[in-house]
Amino acid sequence: MGANETMRTIVDSRGSSCPGPITDLAIAYRRAKVGDEIELWATDPGVKPDVRAWAAKTGNEIVSVEDQPDKIVVVRVVKR
Amino acid sequence: MSQTVEIPSTEETGEIATGKLSIVMFSGTADKFIPLGVLAQAAAAMEMQVNIFVTGFALLGFTKRPHDLPFPAEFVGMAAALAQGMKASHVAPWDAMLRQAKEMGAKVYACSMMAGVLGLGKEDFNDLVDDVVGAATFLQRAEHGQTLFI
Repeated sequence: MGANETMRTIVDSRGSSCPGPITDLAIAYRRAKVGDEIELWATDPGVKPDVRAWAAKTGNEIVSVEDQPDKIVVVRVVKR
Repeated sequence: MSQTVEIPSTEETGEIATGKLSIVMFSGTADKFIPLGVLAQAAAAMEMQVNIFVTGFALLGFTKRPHDLPFPAEFVGMAAALAQGMKASHVAPWDAMLRQAKEMGAKVYACSMMAGVLGLGKEDFNDLVDDVVGAATFLQRAEHGQTLFI
């Protein structure tokens, strides 16, 4: 892999309660490089508004939010 | 005459300028430590600067010699169910949440006056406590941010 290539990280926070998923996302975000994609899997019922609040507060953009059949919310963020 | 307020830039302070949460942790009952952990961890994850000022009987939750934090009398009957529910929902204990917040930059200060009143010296506090300070230090650190009293 070249030095300029971006990475995609999956953060599995299924089963973790607030503020676990948002913390897992923040930690992965800190470790990521600009352009990297982070995909968060979560089951906490508050995760959708919480991720939007995190993005607004930290100046990031949510690429997509998806509901999956097994009650998993998948959120994609690209580090700015 | 117009006034200009100079706010230090992110480069100058080395901090990400997305706000600040300060918490006065006063209550010494076990139930109140849960929101302390949750809000400190969430705020730190939001890249906020987090300052916690521990005073009153809450200091007993931060000593090397562990104290059993009591439940408020009106909720004693629900304490066991709460503990069970937290375990089932995989909610971390308050001190683990605070430790996580500290790893992301949160600071915890013990109140020098109440520490003295309770006969606690710097050496009596565990590693969650960053420093023992007075009210003026906390107020100065809390300035221009949101402050909660728990």
